[in-house]
Amino acid sequence: MTVTGYLADFSLPELFQLLEQGNKTGLLTICTLTDTLTAERFNHHIWFSQGQIVAAGNALDQRGLMRLIAQRGWMGDNAVSRLAQTCQINTPLGLCLKNQGVLTAEQLKLLFYTQVMRQVCALFALPDGWFQFDPKAPTPRAEMTGLIATATDVTLAGLRALKDWNALAEKLPDPSSALVSTVEGKPSLRLNPNEWQVWEFTNGTMALADVAKQLNLPVAKAQQIAFRLIVTGLAEEMPLMATPPTSSANLIDPESLELGVASTTSSGAAPVSNSFLQNLVGFLKGKV
Amino acid sequence: MEIMRLVVTGPVGAGKSTFIRSVSEIEVVDTDRRATDEALLIKKRTTVAFDFGRLQFGPDMALHLYGTPGQSRFDFMWDILIQKAHAYILLVAAHRPHEFREARRIMMFMQQRSPVPMIIGLTHTDCPNAWDAANIALALGYPNPNRRPPLVTVNANETASVAQAVIALVQHTWSGSLATT
Ligand SMILES: Nc1nc2c(ncn2[C@@H]2O[C@H](COP(=O)(O)OP(=O)(O)OP(=O)(O)O)[C@@H](O)[C@H]2O)c(=O)[nH]1
Ligand SMILES: [Mg+2]
Repeated sequence: MTVTGYLADFSLPELFQLLEQGNKTGLLTICTLTDTLTAERFNHHIWFSQGQIVAAGNALDQRGLMRLIAQRGWMGDNAVSRLAQTCQINTPLGLCLKNQGVLTAEQLKLLFYTQVMRQVCALFALPDGWFQFDPKAPTPRAEMTGLIATATDVTLAGLRALKDWNALAEKLPDPSSALVSTVEGKPSLRLNPNEWQVWEFTNGTMALADVAKQLNLPVAKAQQIAFRLIVTGLAEEMPLMATPPTSSANLIDPESLELGVASTTSSGAAPVSNSFLQNLVGFLKGKV
Repeated sequence: MEIMRLVVTGPVGAGKSTFIRSVSEIEVVDTDRRATDEALLIKKRTTVAFDFGRLQFGPDMALHLYGTPGQSRFDFMWDILIQKAHAYILLVAAHRPHEFREARRIMMFMQQRSPVPMIIGLTHTDCPNAWDAANIALALGYPNPNRRPPLVTVNANETASVAQAVIALVQHTWSGSLATT
């Protein structure tokens, strides 16, 4: 099914994580919102294959990669087009050109870096945008170098390089929350020293604000690092219990809501009998 | 009196109060107030303390339902409730991806404080731009359909639909308790 929404609601790192974890194949289109100054809007396309990023571009004309090659001055537009026609239908264009000996492996890497890493990483700074993921879109051989990147790697690179975090401010874990690891043992991702340091605290007990203090990091920085660990699937935000308020006079006391009996016992709910459950289900079925 | 306590939780505006009202036989304790700042964008009134609903279905048998407040601060009140609950349902509005992360936070908090069974109830699936269940499960951090809590669709405004969701929760709890004994 298509997924649509706004990046302000569901951010790009979250979206990448979803597409990766869901092993999705298809086309993600991001449409920037109309610029108030220039009244312009742009489309960005990112192609996924089984949860991995295989190509990116800003047009659907199947000529983006050829333009990149021409821009580099490695080959004229027409020459690439002609060669492309001899490629097998299922072979990525980049790979085909490499097989024909016109591009080197190094050149392919450079192309992929420009096409995917540079273009996609820039999108993390978008304040908002409308997105749509179309799982039916065909895989565009003509846009593919044959190289792939995991969404996690792109997210990690993009967020490490991100200077302006305004667009994601609301998505960051709360300074009062802790982090808890969601992987067994150590992460297999290559973390940087700061990320490792924060990672050491993913035991669900210390608030990020305190982690920041311990590590001598600004709180915002610790939140950003924590967010990276979260959206790359290494950790989860764990809200800690707020310290008791000094006054709760304006709140309704749950004990007045018939909890009085229960709260005399220390913890846990007294088990209910099977006949109770049977009766309850029977009664509810009468309402269905 | 034998009592089963269920907690109804979820992000702001998921339908918790409505859910409880739909199956409760008593006038639900209304603690809704004008919402402040962020919640105002979503709705005019939000619950500031716990909702409470009750359903008596035998001379000495009753179901108690507790709804968590909308603008969640995880305080001692939550803890008291969670500790006494037999099970809980996490309501998630399917058309509001903005709240999926908050749903995740609530879930993490609940799971840490209590090992009791839970199910996920998707509300607002009838609204435009609602996400489908599979993608919401992914957004909540469950890539594997075989390793996640049961997921049901529920319209909090319809008694029959809510009753169905409570049945699913009770049966899930039941199967859990049978499995452990
Ligand atoms: N269309 C539709 N509306 C629903 C559904 N479930 C709940 N609503 C509506 O959603 C609105 C919010 O419901 P509430 O019950 O106030 O939500 P809440 O979770 O208690 O909100 P807070 O207390 O602020 O956290 C109400 O207008 C409900 O009628 C649903 O499945 N479909
Ligand atoms: Mg409410």
